[in-house]
Amino acid sequence: MPPLLQFTLRRFAYAVASLILITMVLYAGFMLTPPEARAMLYVPKGRGAERVGENFIQRIIQEKHLDDPYLVQYFYWARDLARGSWGYSPTLNEDVLAALLRRTPATLELAFYSLLLLVPLGLASGLIAGWHPRRWFDRSFRSLAFLGTAIPPFILSLVLLAIFYVRLGWFAPSRSDLALEVEISKGTFHAFTGILTLDSLLNGRLDAFASTLRHLALPVVTLALYHWAVLGRITRSSVAGERHKEHVVAARARGVREPQLMRRHTFRAVLGPSLTLAGLAAAALVTGIFVVEIIYDINGVSRVIVSAMSFEPDPPAALGFTVYSVIMVLGLMFVLDVALAVFDPRIRDEIFSP
Amino acid sequence: MRRPTRFLSRWPNRFALGLLAVFVVVAAAAPALSPMDPKEPGVFKRVGRVTDLNPHPPDDKALLGTLPGQVDVFHALVWGTRGALAFGVVVALGALLLGAIVGAVAGYAGGPVNNLLMRTTDAFLAFPLIAAVALVQQMVAMTIQSMGGTYWFHSPFAGMNIYFDFTPPLWTRFLMSVDPVMICLILLLWVPYARLFNTQVLTLKRSDFVRAAYSLGGGPAWVIRRHLLPNALRPALVMVATDIGAVVILQATFTFIGLGGNSAWGKLLSIGRDWVIGPGGDLLRYWWVFVPATLAVILFGVTWNMLGDGLHDALDPRRS
Repeated sequence: MPPLLQFTLRRFAYAVASLILITMVLYAGFMLTPPEARAMLYVPKGRGAERVGENFIQRIIQEKHLDDPYLVQYFYWARDLARGSWGYSPTLNEDVLAALLRRTPATLELAFYSLLLLVPLGLASGLIAGWHPRRWFDRSFRSLAFLGTAIPPFILSLVLLAIFYVRLGWFAPSRSDLALEVEISKGTFHAFTGILTLDSLLNGRLDAFASTLRHLALPVVTLALYHWAVLGRITRSSVAGERHKEHVVAARARGVREPQLMRRHTFRAVLGPSLTLAGLAAAALVTGIFVVEIIYDINGVSRVIVSAMSFEPDPPAALGFTVYSVIMVLGLMFVLDVALAVFDPRIRDEIFSP
Repeated sequence: MRRPTRFLSRWPNRFALGLLAVFVVVAAAAPALSPMDPKEPGVFKRVGRVTDLNPHPPDDKALLGTLPGQVDVFHALVWGTRGALAFGVVVALGALLLGAIVGAVAGYAGGPVNNLLMRTTDAFLAFPLIAAVALVQQMVAMTIQSMGGTYWFHSPFAGMNIYFDFTPPLWTRFLMSVDPVMICLILLLWVPYARLFNTQVLTLKRSDFVRAAYSLGGGPAWVIRRHLLPNALRPALVMVATDIGAVVILQATFTFIGLGGNSAWGKLLSIGRDWVIGPGGDLLRYWWVFVPATLAVILFGVTWNMLGDGLHDALDPRRS
């Protein structure tokens, strides 16, 4: 087996093990509620909470083993999850898993463009700022990074919306123009993937592409600014530490030019710690994506809990959302880990040497 | 240079301490600065007709103007300071306590117990806060519903509404009074503290000077007081300072997007948001709807962040 594949499989197994551990802790926490309450998770379509009779609840408790010991209960719950029956959400009038899956492309699109913006910019600005500390670039980087971390994303989005949407009308909240939604429902615009930027290119519709970008711009900037600042700061401080290491000094003595030194000798070494810390912040990033979605009124995965938290309680939706978002975080960590193994020479050597 | 002197010799630290002093004084003097309405005590005071949905600019009845529904901005800002400080301190110290106990016990027990506990701790790193906040509130809701009560979310001021046809048992009333956002933040924030204390305990267990301390007749209490606490508390203090600011901002965020939490600042912004970003809204014309609460949130975060940075530099043993 090729070493990289082996590494990938190992990380994948690790992610699955983490998922099992987390769901075990999650279900243990859930068992703090009485069995009658947990039966609400299994109420099928067409039985509103107020119409659920006492006998019906008792039957669910019997069927789903809600009175049994922890491990038995966990097993039946996890089996249901694995089979794809995540319960029925009364507030969305839909199966929870279907509701989550249908909204995933929107969330992925937002996450992808934000990462595309923030990772290269964060690494590059941290590298340049750390390479020439206290010069003008470093100073302006640090002020901007300070602003980026000091202004909470929800306030930044209010300001951005007030200026660029209300005042200037350049960009807009929500996911797409009404006209595009109408076209999708009429079938004149084919939503192949659900990722609107990709779909508009596949349909050969540049106008739809432009309007989608117009809707994406503000949420992407909001999300990217904060995490750009964090990533840039980490990179900057590790570059500052790496800049005077022996191997850099030796390379400089050999006559390697400065840009080459910066790119090959320092950047590679710094990539590891920066991306590792980014992986540790994956949960915060996912929370950030959901918050931005809610503020900009994007119909992404977070819509499921907005609907669950807006009036009537909807435990199946909330539990499904929790499991799903944990899977998203673990997926993000997994992707970062594998990317790191491909790019970082030290980790690569560790894998390839037997 | 002595530590306090060095700490005070830097302007960001003096600036942050000054801001902190302002926050503490405002929080302590809240009843004097803005007395509560005796008929309807609460963080939100109405100074006009509830049905008047236009925000009014500052006048002598409301120092910083009013929000739609005639909510007094100044009153909520002042009492919100008290709430924010209390919330931040309780959450950060709660996380510190929980993390210190779990981390130290796991490290002391060692072996498989340590492995299991720390693996579980790691698992919490992959848990997004927003899901926890939603889930815990749903758990409270479904418990109350299964008791025969009625529960629904999202009334603009109370957050959630709970009704019982009968007198609920004591533990249910306790359940209704805890703040789910507070519980979630403590449950997800203790992880770094646990790691910190765990590492310290594991290092100390192996170190020669602790064995020497034992052989000289020092008991566990002495080792904890003289060796564990000074080594672990320094970095923990830095984390506490940073966390206090971060959790208050998170609380305001969740309140603003309508996922619960009792941040008065967040509620001010969510009540007034339509006058900033709604149709006909204008940031400059209706500035009092937006600017006071925003400044409070941002300055609160900046204060604790700067204090954390300052403490980090001042407490670094390699620098003294």
